[in-house]
Amino acid sequence: MADPLQKVLSNPKPVIVDLWAPWCTPCKMMAPAFERVGKQYQGQVDVVKINADEHPEVLRELKVMGIPTMVGFSGGKEVARRVGMQPEAEIAAFFESVLTGIPAEKGLSAFTRLLRLASGLAVAAIGWFSAQSWILMVIGGIVMFSAVYDRCPVYKAISGRIKEMLKG
Amino acid sequence: MKDFANQASWDRVLRVLMGVVLLFLGWGGAVSGVWGEVFKYLGFVPLLTGLLGFCPIYYVLKIRTKQA
Repeated sequence: MADPLQKVLSNPKPVIVDLWAPWCTPCKMMAPAFERVGKQYQGQVDVVKINADEHPEVLRELKVMGIPTMVGFSGGKEVARRVGMQPEAEIAAFFESVLTGIPAEKGLSAFTRLLRLASGLAVAAIGWFSAQSWILMVIGGIVMFSAVYDRCPVYKAISGRIKEMLKG
Repeated sequence: MKDFANQASWDRVLRVLMGVVLLFLGWGGAVSGVWGEVFKYLGFVPLLTGLLGFCPIYYVLKIRTKQA
């Protein structure tokens, strides 16, 4: 079977390689969002979906350790990579960064995380020690969670499903 | 996506600190009476605007402390 990567490397246009497999549940969950974003960038960014089971040599060549993985190429060179299931907004940011060559700002900054964690902890502490108020403790907990929500696998799975449901 | 954030880091830290202090004064009982009740809820305003990095008043008055 021909190496699909050669076509990618010889393509002068920006290309995004999506590595997936039929048994990979996160790949299946991400696929509809990936296709929607791909359609938005039709003509600007080419999309190549590669089945990892059929082309293990591509995985070796790109040093891909896990799927789903998106690898962005521009002028035949790798310019960006994103590993793991991504929400639609992150996929769109990835397409944009491959197209423009400007690295996508990934998620929350360390400063924002620290600010949310510290203030959430402070509010929860006021609720626990000073006010004995469960409302403040809940608010503090929510603020602390907002600092790390994008790293929470349960939140990722649930929010992805809800978005899919809302979009029908 | 349009960047709505209009506060610099120092602005955000200041607001969050102010919010936490107001909440502590109000909920902790250090200030009682009407002011205590006011602080209890007023503290959430700077806390929220600081955490989001977006201030509606800045937005209306077209002020930005965050560098573009």
